[in-house]
Amino acid sequence: MIRSEKLDRTFVEEILAEPGGEHLLTCWSCGTCAATCLVRRYDPAFNPRLILHKAGLGLRAEVLSSAEIWQCSACDACYPRCPKQIHISEVMKAIRNLAIRAGYEPPGPFAVVNETICSGCAVCTRACPYEAIDRVTKAVDGSERAVAQVNKTLCLHCGICVAACPSGAMSLEVFSDQELVTRMGAGGWLEQPGYLQGGSPQPRILAFICQWTIRSDSEWDKLAPFGDRVRVVNLPCSGRVDADLILLALTKGVDGVLVVGCKEGECHYRRGTYLGRGKVALLSEALKQMDIPAARVRFAELSSLDRYTLPRLINAISEEIMASVMVKV
Amino acid sequence: MVDAARHPKIEILAYSEVERVDGYIGNFRAVVTKKPRYVLEDRCNGCGACAKVCPIEVPNPFELDIAPRKAIDVPHGQAVPLVYAIDLDNCIHCYKCVTACGKLDAIDFSQQPETVELEVGSIIVATGFESFDPSVIPEYGYGRYPNVITALELERLANSAGPTVGRLIRPSDGKTPKSIALINCVGSRDSRYNEYCSGFCCMYTIKNALFLKQSYPDMDISIFYMDIRTPAKGYEEFYNRAREAGIRFIHGRPSQITEDPETHNLFVEAEDQALGQVIELETEMVCLSTAAIPRADTEQLASALTLSRSPGGFFMEYHPKLRPVDSPTDGVFLAGAAQGPKDIPACVAQGSAAAARAARVLSADTWEIEPIVARVWPEQCLSFQGKKCGICAQACPYGAITVIQGQAAQIAQAKCHGCGGCAAECPNDAITQDHFTDAQIMAQLRELLRDRPEEKIIAFMCHWCSYGGADNAGTSHFEYPPTSRGIRVMCSARMDQDFILEAFRRGAGMVLVSGCHPQDCHYITGQRVAAKRFDRVPRTLERIGINPERFRVEWISAAEGEKYARVITEMDAKLSSLDKAQLRAENERARPEIEKRLRRWKALPHMAELLAEEEPEKQEVPV
Repeated sequence: MIRSEKLDRTFVEEILAEPGGEHLLTCWSCGTCAATCLVRRYDPAFNPRLILHKAGLGLRAEVLSSAEIWQCSACDACYPRCPKQIHISEVMKAIRNLAIRAGYEPPGPFAVVNETICSGCAVCTRACPYEAIDRVTKAVDGSERAVAQVNKTLCLHCGICVAACPSGAMSLEVFSDQELVTRMGAGGWLEQPGYLQGGSPQPRILAFICQWTIRSDSEWDKLAPFGDRVRVVNLPCSGRVDADLILLALTKGVDGVLVVGCKEGECHYRRGTYLGRGKVALLSEALKQMDIPAARVRFAELSSLDRYTLPRLINAISEEIMASVMVKV
Repeated sequence: MVDAARHPKIEILAYSEVERVDGYIGNFRAVVTKKPRYVLEDRCNGCGACAKVCPIEVPNPFELDIAPRKAIDVPHGQAVPLVYAIDLDNCIHCYKCVTACGKLDAIDFSQQPETVELEVGSIIVATGFESFDPSVIPEYGYGRYPNVITALELERLANSAGPTVGRLIRPSDGKTPKSIALINCVGSRDSRYNEYCSGFCCMYTIKNALFLKQSYPDMDISIFYMDIRTPAKGYEEFYNRAREAGIRFIHGRPSQITEDPETHNLFVEAEDQALGQVIELETEMVCLSTAAIPRADTEQLASALTLSRSPGGFFMEYHPKLRPVDSPTDGVFLAGAAQGPKDIPACVAQGSAAAARAARVLSADTWEIEPIVARVWPEQCLSFQGKKCGICAQACPYGAITVIQGQAAQIAQAKCHGCGGCAAECPNDAITQDHFTDAQIMAQLRELLRDRPEEKIIAFMCHWCSYGGADNAGTSHFEYPPTSRGIRVMCSARMDQDFILEAFRRGAGMVLVSGCHPQDCHYITGQRVAAKRFDRVPRTLERIGINPERFRVEWISAAEGEKYARVITEMDAKLSSLDKAQLRAENERARPEIEKRLRRWKALPHMAELLAEEEPEKQEVPV
């Protein structure tokens, strides 16, 4: 039971006074945000409506100590749909600011820097959509030099910095390169011969899919008919895709690589789609110069309103790969 | 409608536009354009032979484009008057209709728009509403998914006189759906489109659900809602019936609708708040309960009739509680959804009330108006003097002033409500207000500031709010310093900058101007006119050497006695903190400049008399 002494009016006033928290009390709990929220599809414990409602009641300890307040990725998918036009990610930021001042720490996961390898080039600083990485000078392995440093209160674990890092010093606590390679090759999948090598009746496709684009479990069911010839590897964001991972797959004999990101404007990490698409486009150019059909790598955008489009995309890339071979013959 | 058409004293001008309305209560002159039907009204008997032979079919707007109509047709079967009209944009001039009409000879392609002038005593505006177009909400997919329809479309599909003879079908395959989801608050209660609650959608959604349940007992019907609003008599019972009939109510606003591209079934996603879980409901059809919005031509009609509009865009009533069917223009009344979204019982009630209000005007030989009205002193009017002006007409919230260049401004006294905004705005003091003339207010200032003026706070108060607020402070026994001296005017719009300057010329310590809060102004825009003027006052005061902190603007309602007391207490504290000798010196320094600005008073009627009463040493001013 919640007793009246837990309803802390000063907590509400603190949020209202915090930049971004001004519109907290205009929420009437319609649930549009909760039904839109993509974080919630993965973690039902996260409910933006409930957080706003609890904050509006003034449940200070319950809100500030919860792990959920750190989960909002500020994708702002809910904001344009909110009938009260509450910028929920900004309210969430205001609540987080209060939590940090009260001594709470975000639970992670975060991007991590291998300071020994880091050259201090600051490419990651510019790549980060949240300005969460600073270039600091500090003592590393006995010498004073510049290295990247992740601000844990801002980092949302998108992995854009990992893909950007030219020296491989950046990594993620979940979705590290090692982990992705393991998932790609699980069950000896990478070792099996592909269509182009004459080992498979149909092209074998590796799909890197941003975890926010698959809108519901029903989308997965539609992939089942493809069986083992399609391997799906989830990424935190399409901006996380690394050319090295794609090239590794192609050299191992995978016929095609499909990278799927959110629709431009719906990206969970602001500019991940833009970066992912750019990376694939650059790689396609390089493949052409190596005389590898550009059809083997493709980037696609999925809107949260699209339904059952993933099988269509896989069919499309398969057909293109088969067509490219026929042209050669 | 048929009764009205047959009534000897009612004339219906359908298919017509109101172009202009002049005049005032009891004496309106309306200019109405009758659009050409190309069918003679007195000859057409509504037999429909012409429509039968017409080869052209176009979408029928009455059926929301679900069904066709002919290029010569009536809007719908029950149309009054039952006269056919040719849609000339689509007519191919085959003249088959002329042959079909035969010896009735009702078709006349040479018809031209006709202008009618009507002399009427009162006007009732009952122009209704339009339905919100939900295709602007991308996440609901209306217009993109064939099986998402609006409630109005459902209404036509379920109507036995409609295009499907009352059989509900899915647009995608023509089959009757086994399940349907009804979504409330589409386009209303949504800051992106309309803030207001449309009011009657809850009830018509429940009605639609119950109606479908009766026709198709096996149909799976769900209603998504944010709040169910059933405030009128018998409504809650109706809602209970729907619950008992097995209609599923889901407390959550859908975030999006997606479609299975093969079956065209729809998936509605919403958070069920009671469960705290997201529900994805697969349904064969979705019906959006769209908001009522103001008609597109509301603005045009508002300017023809000098009506104002509420924030939602509907016509604004004179007073939300006390005069809900009157418009700000005397003799013009509002009825139905033109004034705000409302259901049929409320529309009928308001229509009856408006008719009764209009009858009051029509049955009277004379009409009493408020004695407080504005008057023009023609020789002083700049327009009369050949200069370009018209500030008064702009300031008038009632459109009561007409300015024809070269002639003095004309005030239609039957339209004037006596706010005094024009009198204060007139740059040449050519307008005054009966019972609140410049001379009367100046005389009050003179008496109030006769001795020890630097210890006094002059408080200008509007009659409806701030004066009530001060009164409330008194009757509630709120204590405040005895240094304030109130001057009542009808509206803050009457508070001329000259009055403020005169108060300082007479040595006042401080001046407060106060009026209604912006949304409460009794003269529609009076407060806004005043606020704009008061914004400029501190700069003027600074220029003539008076500390602008000695002037204050506050909006105080009649219930805010506490605020009035607080404002006066604060001002008194400020005044006591100022050095009196310095204050007097400041006033003396500013005097010549103020007197220069007020020199034109000499020419004003009654003002000379007032100036003659001044103390000997002040008699020479203003020069």
